Amino acid sequence: MAKQNRVSHLHQSTGKLLRQAMVLGALLTAWQLTASSGRFPELLFPPLTKVFSFLLAEKAEIWQKTGFSLSLIGAGLSTAIIGAFITACLVMIFPPLHETVMLLMAVMHPLPGIALLPIFLLWFGIGEKSIVATIIFSAFWPLLANIVTGFKTVPAAQLEVGRNLGLRGGALVCLVMLPSATPHILTGLRVGWARAWQSSVAAELMYGAAGGLGGLGWYLYKKRYMMETAGVLAAMLVIIAIGILMEQLVFNLIELRTIRKWRTASD
Amino acid sequence: MPSVRKTVILLLILSLAVAGLTGCRQAPPPAASQNGDGETIRIAGQFGLVYAPLMVAKDKDIFAKYGLTVEWKEYGSGGAVREALTSGDLDVGFMGIPPFLIGWDKGVPGKVAIGFVCAPVSLISYRPEITAIEDFQSDDKIALPSPGSIQHILLAMQAEKVLGDPKALDNQLIALPHPDATSAMLAKKDIDAHFTTPPYIFQQLSEPDYHVVLSDREVFGNDFSFNVGIVTEKYHAEHPRGYASFVMAINEAMAWINENPYEAAELLAPNFNLDAATTLKYMTWEGMNYTTAPYGLLGFADFMQEAGYLTKVPEKLSDIAWENVLAIVGKRGGTPSEIESLQHRTAE
Repeated sequence: MAKQNRVSHLHQSTGKLLRQAMVLGALLTAWQLTASSGRFPELLFPPLTKVFSFLLAEKAEIWQKTGFSLSLIGAGLSTAIIGAFITACLVMIFPPLHETVMLLMAVMHPLPGIALLPIFLLWFGIGEKSIVATIIFSAFWPLLANIVTGFKTVPAAQLEVGRNLGLRGGALVCLVMLPSATPHILTGLRVGWARAWQSSVAAELMYGAAGGLGGLGWYLYKKRYMMETAGVLAAMLVIIAIGILMEQLVFNLIELRTIRKWRTASD
Repeated sequence: MPSVRKTVILLLILSLAVAGLTGCRQAPPPAASQNGDGETIRIAGQFGLVYAPLMVAKDKDIFAKYGLTVEWKEYGSGGAVREALTSGDLDVGFMGIPPFLIGWDKGVPGKVAIGFVCAPVSLISYRPEITAIEDFQSDDKIALPSPGSIQHILLAMQAEKVLGDPKALDNQLIALPHPDATSAMLAKKDIDAHFTTPPYIFQQLSEPDYHVVLSDREVFGNDFSFNVGIVTEKYHAEHPRGYASFVMAINEAMAWINENPYEAAELLAPNFNLDAATTLKYMTWEGMNYTTAPYGLLGFADFMQEAGYLTKVPEKLSDIAWENVLAIVGKRGGTPSEIESLQHRTAE
């Protein structure tokens, strides 16, 4: 039975892969056809060949910029995660805080982090610190919202069982609440990562306030000002690729290792 | 597998859409049409000391005298103006020669219709130990308006000359609009130097400690048009009367400024949040010249190609300038005339 299940699962996923590949291939072909039809100037629709040769020619710089962007996101996102966890724990320990935090969340969550960049530039100066602050702000609220929801929705029965087994405080949090809240936390991480990634690119792209090496947003900014549309598209491909890699390698792996293994999520 | 079949159908629809997109002509852009007797022109409205002729023409309604109705458009940056010229949202935009050449190289459909202003462009620092670009340490930050701007190209020219690599300082650049960079400079924080233009250059140099690290003259050797007016191929071809009216209106505004500097300063001072005396001082600062004559049109291209900012250079002036500009420069028999020579860079 299990074996049959696995076979049909495999069958399904090859079908899915096939379809995905077809759609992607069609999109790329459509782009290439539009570009080579000569209907639009190359400035507007550069052919894919040019985009890929750009990727190859500038791979050293693109690597460097990607590394820089990822390091800023690493700093910003990890701070946001730690902050969100601490805040969520405080909310759980001191229930009166819940209302205040909910209010703050309602006010702050709709505000795009990038809108705060002008203020951050004044507070933290022109450069990396302001970008990291933007990333922290962008990622913090969705993380907090999901972690709090995760903690709040731990089934009472599970908590009771835990308590009956003699678990208290930290042990209860780590062994019962965290695993139970993991689906929500994972959603928070996904949204937080996406927001952080978007903010880091947007901050550099909008204000060009890179300084130092600069990340992918700065690269896009430069390519825009040099009117190298193929370069702009090359950078976009890199941004997409990193998004997919993060999703497939990191989040799906965490999901497999945690909630799928623990069966807290249905298949 | 039914889902695969559905995907195939979807792909068919998609390919039809693409065929439609590539097969049909682009919809004609709106506006810029004949308007009764007169003509309409869409101009990127820009403000500041270097745009004084445009502001005068607008304030004194000189365009109307020539039967020209102006639709003013506003954009956040020089890059956006160039993109608007490309997408057909705009008929006229003003920009530096290097950003124009980058656009020209990449196929932005437009040429120089008018010289606009010559103005001093200088790299300024408040740190006494920085007196030349060789003095920059690797963690010093240099602000300029954007990559590919006239300031960036001048810096790259000097970097190639004294540091051996035009991109030597590229990792220390911060792209900032002039007002933001000036605030940072005056607060002496975040940036160590600023490659800037009037009136910011005058504001900074009026303070103690602020000094010129590199001047345009040192790099270029002679004057160059800091800004030129670009008119699109489409507008030039389809609206010769509108084109002529635009050029004449700017000529008249410019002549008025030069003939009546006091009145011009009084007219413009409120726009700059300055008093008339300071405005006059800035407008007549050493090196300021409101003139429609082109300077230095061909002086940046060779360097920009060598440094990799351009893939090609204009072979002749008519590649990048409309006929009224060609007529000003002329073509002397024998050796080139002075104004022909002034289209090139004399410093090496």
